[in-house]
Amino acid sequence: MGTISSAFSLISGALNADQSALSIVSSNVANANTPGYTREIPNWQENDPVSINGLECGTGVTQTGATSVRDRILTERLNQQQQMAAASGSRLAALNAIQALFTPDSGSTSSRAGDIGSDITGFFNSLSALEANPTNNALRQQVLSTATTLAGDISNAARMVSTQRAALDQEAAGMVAQVNALTASIAQLNGQIQSTSPGADAGVLEDQRQQDLSKLSQLIGMNQITTENNGLSIATTSGMTLVSGNSNYPMTTGVVNGVTHFFVGTTDITSDLASGGGSLGGYLAARDQDIPQVLNSLDQLAYGISTAINAQNNAGTNLNGVGGTGVNPANPSLDIFNPPVGVTGSAAAMSVLITDPNNIAAAGPAAGSGDDSNTVAMAGLADFAIVNGRSPSNFFSNFVTALGAIVGEVQTENTAQTASVTQLQNQTNALSAVNLNDEAVAMQQLQRSYQAASQVFAILNTIMTSALNLGVQTAVS
Amino acid sequence: MRVNPSYISNLAASLNQTQAKVEQLTAQLSSGQRVNSLSDDPLAAGQNVLLLNQIQRDDSFTQASSLVQGQLQVADSALGGVVSQLTQAISLATSANNGTLNASDLKSISNQLAGVRDEVLALANTSYQGQYIFGGSETGTVPFSISGTTPAAATYNGDGNVNFLVTPNGQRIQLNVPGDKIFMAGNANDVLGTLNQLIADFASGQASSTAIADTTALSTAVNFVSQQRVVLDNSLTRLTAATEAAGNEKMQLTAAQTNLMQADVADIATQLSLSKTQQTALQSVIAQVGAGSLFDKI
Repeated sequence: MGTISSAFSLISGALNADQSALSIVSSNVANANTPGYTREIPNWQENDPVSINGLECGTGVTQTGATSVRDRILTERLNQQQQMAAASGSRLAALNAIQALFTPDSGSTSSRAGDIGSDITGFFNSLSALEANPTNNALRQQVLSTATTLAGDISNAARMVSTQRAALDQEAAGMVAQVNALTASIAQLNGQIQSTSPGADAGVLEDQRQQDLSKLSQLIGMNQITTENNGLSIATTSGMTLVSGNSNYPMTTGVVNGVTHFFVGTTDITSDLASGGGSLGGYLAARDQDIPQVLNSLDQLAYGISTAINAQNNAGTNLNGVGGTGVNPANPSLDIFNPPVGVTGSAAAMSVLITDPNNIAAAGPAAGSGDDSNTVAMAGLADFAIVNGRSPSNFFSNFVTALGAIVGEVQTENTAQTASVTQLQNQTNALSAVNLNDEAVAMQQLQRSYQAASQVFAILNTIMTSALNLGVQTAVS
Repeated sequence: MRVNPSYISNLAASLNQTQAKVEQLTAQLSSGQRVNSLSDDPLAAGQNVLLLNQIQRDDSFTQASSLVQGQLQVADSALGGVVSQLTQAISLATSANNGTLNASDLKSISNQLAGVRDEVLALANTSYQGQYIFGGSETGTVPFSISGTTPAAATYNGDGNVNFLVTPNGQRIQLNVPGDKIFMAGNANDVLGTLNQLIADFASGQASSTAIADTTALSTAVNFVSQQRVVLDNSLTRLTAATEAAGNEKMQLTAAQTNLMQADVADIATQLSLSKTQQTALQSVIAQVGAGSLFDKI
């Protein structure tokens, strides 16, 4: 049978429990805006009853601490989606910078400046115009000047693209320090969690670990594997371990073939990272796939035009009656463009070699200076498949369409992924973020129950006084 | 049901999106361009390259054609002059052949014929912008020269090369006829040779036995020159037609290109107005719901 003193101890337990629950609520409210904070709920446990003389007596309530409300599957999905969104986001930024170099020509003279498509047309048009009067110096000058514009704009574009590539390379290399700091922090948290809370959610420590994981997800693509004693291993998407237990394996960088490569130990994980995700993955995808494609297209354009035009000019006779090397191999070369050694690098190296407009071999071999048959042949190259199986204009048209399509594709991808991140973030927030309304309600509830318990305590006190005084009211108050 | 307590940040994100849309629309309005970057419409951007290529090509052809039109007209009028000179020569030779003229008259006719020949020679050596137009590709060398007497001999210093102007749709228009094909085509069609022969026929004051045959030959030669003139006239006609076609094509293509790339102002204005409304609504919503929680009421 319960006694007044047992009621005392029961109700003081309730007061303690309410107090500690109130402190949990306070902590929630205090951390309402802390990034990574997961709301906690107090755990109430009904104390085991005692059986005295066959009567079951309740022994009150105990507060067994707080539980963080989280769904690790949901968080992991959010992290993975974040990796993809970050990858497409950074790749999109890089691609946007590239496509800005190829703004469509509206057709007005001002928008034509720097437009390679118009340069190609302008160059071949100047050759067509030379058909009309092959000995005219002004028309010959025009050919040289359009050739210079074309070569200048192509090599300029190639250089700008290369500069962007170098910038991306630096950006990517700079992320390594952040990644290493995060993996080190996770490894350390692993150690703490394994020693303090091997069997259950580690609360604040887990919050910190999840926050680090979320940050890491912005940077690189990775897989997380839960291990024994609440540990967490982190590996790249193709399985290279970055964190295992309480040790992390830092990434290092090294330059291979002029670009930064990433290593764990001695293993090169660059391609692994490029396809993985995160901002780093996006930058590497742009650096290693998109930009090389753009550069290659420019190289093919430069190579195709330079080679074909040089060969044709060498097959004719210049204004001074001298044939090119195609007419007589012993003659000096009449190359208009810097002759490319191979496809690679020919865009950046494109330039006009001849300075004397008389060296444009307008006339056919062994023809008089007024002949235009070689000009007709050169101008005709505009419609010949001289650039990788296409005419120069067609090739450039295809190139801009392909580039625009890639940018558009990544844009759509990024929009969808960002929307999906938002949705998962909403779900996670709904579950784990501090809702001030809920906390206000909890506060009120706890206040009421604390007040009630205090009241019970006061009444018990009166009862106890009555019991001690045995009806005499004044002895003890 | 649990809700996301920080949904206001989502509203802010929506506000940013609307803002970006407004920015994009304003950029389209201010540039007048629908496609401001390749990814706006990759296919249109590609088409644009090809359309502009064709438009600029038409444009350039129109300019080149005005350059050669001058040359063709000069060549045509030179040949016109040659025909009238030769007609005059024929009537001179015919009057000399009727047997009523005395020796000094015949000598005088021979001299007049020599004058005609020199005129024809000068016309055969016509140049346009410093380039001889009847010398084939040897445009820097005087194409014809005369040497010797009774009969004098004409020499052609040019070659047989023909220049072409290629139209945007690939037609090749002949720009010149090499002089030897007009003035020294050999046999019955040798204009200069026949003229020299006729001069020699009457030079002595006595009509030579070949005079009548030579006069007939000159008539044939005149017809031949007229035929060659037709070649140039054809070129001129084709050139005019091709220029007109290029002009028409340019107009059509420009219209197509404008349609493809230009912003639809009415459509953009509508979208802009919608976006602005959405923006205002979002702002009001954020201002309304942003305030407080249940704690305010406790």
